[in-house]
Amino acid sequence: MKRILMLALMFGGVLASQAQSNKIEFEQYKLKNGLDVILHEDHSTPIVAVTVLYHVGSKNEDPKRTGFAHFFEHLLFEGSENIGRGEYMKLVQSNGGILNANTSFDRTFYFEILPSNQLELGLWLESERMLHAKIDETGVETQREVVKEEYRQRYENTPYGSFLPNMFQRAFEVHPYQWVPIGSLEHLNAATIDEFRDFYDTYYVPNNATLSIAGDFDKKQLKKWIDTYFSDIPKGTKPMFRPTVAEPIKNKEVRAVIEDNIQLPAVMMGYHTPAQGTDESYAVSMLAQILSQGNSSRMQKSIVDEQEKALFVGAFPFPTEDPGMSLALGITNMGVSLDELEKAIDKEVEKLQNELISEEEFQKLKNQIESDMTSQNSKIEGVAENLANYAVYYGDANLINTEVNRYMKVTREDIRNAAKKYFRKDNRVVLHYVPKKTDKSETPKLKEEKK
Amino acid sequence: MNKKILSIILAATLTLGASAQKLDRSKRPTPSAAPEIKLGKIEKFTLPNGLKVFVVENHKLPKVAYSLSLDVDPIMEGDMAGYTAAAGELLGRGTKTRTKEQLDEQIDFIGATLNTSSTGIYASSLKKHQTKLLDMMADVLMNADFKQDELDKIKKQTISGITSSKDSPDAISDNVSHALVYGKNHPYGEIATEETVEAITLEKCKAYYSSYFKPNVAYLAVVGDVTMAEIKPLIEKYFGSWTKGDVPINKYKTPIAPEKTNVALVHKEGAVQSVINITYPINLKQNSPDAIKARVMNSILGGGSTARLFMNLREGHGYTYGAYSSINSDMLVGSFSANAKVRNEVTDSAVTEFMVELKRMINETVTAEELEGVKNYMTGTFAYTLQDPQTIARFAINTEKYNLPADYYANYLKNVAAVTIEDVQEMAKKYIKPENAIVIVVGDKEVAKKLESFSASGKVDFYDTYGNDYVEALKPAPAGMTAENVLDKFIEAKYGMPAGKNLDKKLKKIKDVTVKMNASIQGQTISVTRYSKAPNKFAMSMTMGPMVIQKQTFNGTEGKVSGMQGNKNVEGEELEELKKSSVMHNDVNYAASGDKFMLLGVEPIEGKDAYKIEVAKANGDKESEWYDVASNLQVKAMQVKDAGEEAGGAITIVSVFSDYKVVNGINYAHKIKQSFGPQTLDMEVISVEQNTKLGDDVFE
Repeated sequence: MKRILMLALMFGGVLASQAQSNKIEFEQYKLKNGLDVILHEDHSTPIVAVTVLYHVGSKNEDPKRTGFAHFFEHLLFEGSENIGRGEYMKLVQSNGGILNANTSFDRTFYFEILPSNQLELGLWLESERMLHAKIDETGVETQREVVKEEYRQRYENTPYGSFLPNMFQRAFEVHPYQWVPIGSLEHLNAATIDEFRDFYDTYYVPNNATLSIAGDFDKKQLKKWIDTYFSDIPKGTKPMFRPTVAEPIKNKEVRAVIEDNIQLPAVMMGYHTPAQGTDESYAVSMLAQILSQGNSSRMQKSIVDEQEKALFVGAFPFPTEDPGMSLALGITNMGVSLDELEKAIDKEVEKLQNELISEEEFQKLKNQIESDMTSQNSKIEGVAENLANYAVYYGDANLINTEVNRYMKVTREDIRNAAKKYFRKDNRVVLHYVPKKTDKSETPKLKEEKK
Repeated sequence: MNKKILSIILAATLTLGASAQKLDRSKRPTPSAAPEIKLGKIEKFTLPNGLKVFVVENHKLPKVAYSLSLDVDPIMEGDMAGYTAAAGELLGRGTKTRTKEQLDEQIDFIGATLNTSSTGIYASSLKKHQTKLLDMMADVLMNADFKQDELDKIKKQTISGITSSKDSPDAISDNVSHALVYGKNHPYGEIATEETVEAITLEKCKAYYSSYFKPNVAYLAVVGDVTMAEIKPLIEKYFGSWTKGDVPINKYKTPIAPEKTNVALVHKEGAVQSVINITYPINLKQNSPDAIKARVMNSILGGGSTARLFMNLREGHGYTYGAYSSINSDMLVGSFSANAKVRNEVTDSAVTEFMVELKRMINETVTAEELEGVKNYMTGTFAYTLQDPQTIARFAINTEKYNLPADYYANYLKNVAAVTIEDVQEMAKKYIKPENAIVIVVGDKEVAKKLESFSASGKVDFYDTYGNDYVEALKPAPAGMTAENVLDKFIEAKYGMPAGKNLDKKLKKIKDVTVKMNASIQGQTISVTRYSKAPNKFAMSMTMGPMVIQKQTFNGTEGKVSGMQGNKNVEGEELEELKKSSVMHNDVNYAASGDKFMLLGVEPIEGKDAYKIEVAKANGDKESEWYDVASNLQVKAMQVKDAGEEAGGAITIVSVFSDYKVVNGINYAHKIKQSFGPQTLDMEVISVEQNTKLGDDVFE
């Protein structure tokens, strides 16, 4: 008991001193039109990351028009009233910058990383995108083709690529997490230009956005520019759809066999788990870590190394704003059946439900978290994105410095309880991926299950 | 008082209002003065054992990373391809004092990373754990304990991995590209397969570890929250006892681009996309003065999402999610690649657009705007990579490894800025070769027909997923047909009668044969004369004008080769081989040769069905032979010969026979096209003479 206390004290002390020396400083304020602004200064390299997070993802979509948020990730590079088609990327790259965007169930994130003397350009580009992006037939047509290719590449032509859509469509019956961000190509084909314009006017507005900037800038000048470029963008007035439905608690295991163009069978499991940021979510996340982070993790050591049942195993939380999933999966080693592998994974989960993890293993988890949390802020674009995420999801950007404490509050008992409560068989979806039997056949099409 | 406040507020609103109105959004912001890009400081020292250490201080995060890398020549792994990678993995699986389990446990306990590979070790952790980390890293490096059961696991997992990637079009494209660009006799062209991985032995892995992991060929980069003063004693303590030693040097023949563009297709059942890679080897070393200029050129062509390929294939045509090109410089052999994944039905249109863009780079100058944009982009991304302190360490190591000028990276941006429009076109002419490329497509074979027009020969070559000839194209031979049947029919077709007493009688009358040929190789014409004399004398001379390039003789017992490099007696296995092949009309007595013949099936050669026979020679060599189904004559032969280390190891010799004509009752192929590696030799028979009373001196 005394030893544990000492350890805890030592650990706490170390963390506190580190938190001080490597604290991420930032300033946060709101414009009148509702735009949230977060600024983090770092002069170590002459570059700056200009990012905008729009709080719109696939869960905000009309079930008959899925894939819109992701489609906009593409469409909003088409240009604006002052930026010609294809010029957006060119303007960034030919001025020494890199850019990209990504879409999740919950939000869309656009960013440019520019040489610091091009900061104003980045602000102008993002303000153009927010104020009056070009949404016309030509752009929609071009990007439809591109998204179709992305779909083929990512979901159809990649082994196990259809795993997420297959998992989520079975796991969720009422919540919009039942479709993944890429959505349905048929919906995109059917959508009219007015529908796209309406989606833009609804969600791509300052009061649904966070402008997060990190890097080498002069703050006074930057604030002046932010005012110049963003304060005259009108606030959005259309109602935004934010799902309030809760997925009912599950008490029946869902199973399916998926035939895919693969060689090695795989088992994929998804457990319903609490939303990110809740106390229990930290225990769930640590649970996944015990199972598969590092070579000494339980699944890796037991299933891959000792029993040699799997070629690859993994367990990871899939953090989402509303209650979502935690995933566990394994690809079989040669000559191992899916049932055998599934049983081996189940056995590891059962141990966590029945036995407390040792103090030493618990300390290992904490050391790993400390190391991971330190590393996540090594790049300015990471800092900008983390600040925006914390601000939007939890209303507290300072969690970039303090979230680690939430993990440290988790006890061994919390982990065992989370395993019992959420890693139940009747609370999960199990997919068995098997190689296609016939060799001349179509690749699996993602089925839109009629509800 | 109130009035004053009011006026201030009014003034403020007015200013705000005025500025808001004033903003002209059509006016693009202009950049302020370009920031100075400073390279971070690096310090270095060398341990007495030769280990070169580079230290980059960066105190942003309380972390430190150690990365050890070997600078050794690539290795031909042959029938154990994959063994160096296995050795690299074994390295991290236990030491003489730590079992694998203990090692994993201790690494994870401090939240550290420790990865090993065939050419190095990377370890990182929070700074507070660094002595523990160093202790483990040095232990792994110097006391690795290679165990059979761990190797067995690695092999099993590697084979499973190979099996699962068999279906990944990217992995297939990667494998086939390597095999076709570099050839299978170059370390870059080797592919680890289920068979080669299965063959790996522990001894081979141990031998690799003990011969190549030496401090005198290693670099150690220390990056992070450290100072030189504190780190030097630690490095001395942990790495000082590592003993140096000589490391093998390996040299290879440099692969060259194909003479003419060809199309290679790997069929993937049910593919919805074609993975296109237009590629070929180039000679571009990291320290070449062309390196930076060629990179600028490639950036304009396909370096990113504003480059020509992307704008054309994705933005212009919507064929793909992305189209790119890359130019890879390398001290052994570099490569060019232009690639995209496109939907099946536009595969040929996409290749057309690729070719249009490649040719445009050569034939037209780029615009000043394009060049400026790319320069800015390269400058910007250069600054971006400096965010990672590992970059500075990498720069220092590259400078040593590739023998770059000491100020290469300091002057990098200056040299980028100096590239001209003319330079870009010069680079395109030098390194963009649409006429000497291999167009590799992994996709459904239904797209093959439309790709024929891109191949100089008008046909598409099929390959399997490892870049071997696609043998599945083989149709089964008719029931009852055997290799012996095929060979017997061939004898009849060649000699005008079946093997037997009558033929023996006919052949006995032939005392000697002289065949004169003209051959062209790389545009040069040479004369080749072959002499045979009963029972088993043979000679061949190759002359160019009055000059004898090479002469080979066999007098019945001794063989000689003489040429411009001097004379050499043929000995051992080679002599045995020569003895056998010198017997006149030896093909008649194939049954007595000791070779084994197997009929594999029927496949088209130059559009005509031919029987394919595998010949297992008595000495263990294998050859393939093809015999035309209609005429029964031999149309092709393929053999693999060991040409010796200097010549690049094994080479594949393919001979194609055509234009058969009967001379004095024997049907001779009058055209023989021989290719070995990237070279081809076209031979044409001018005359065949018999019984010219050749003297024995011809064969001495």
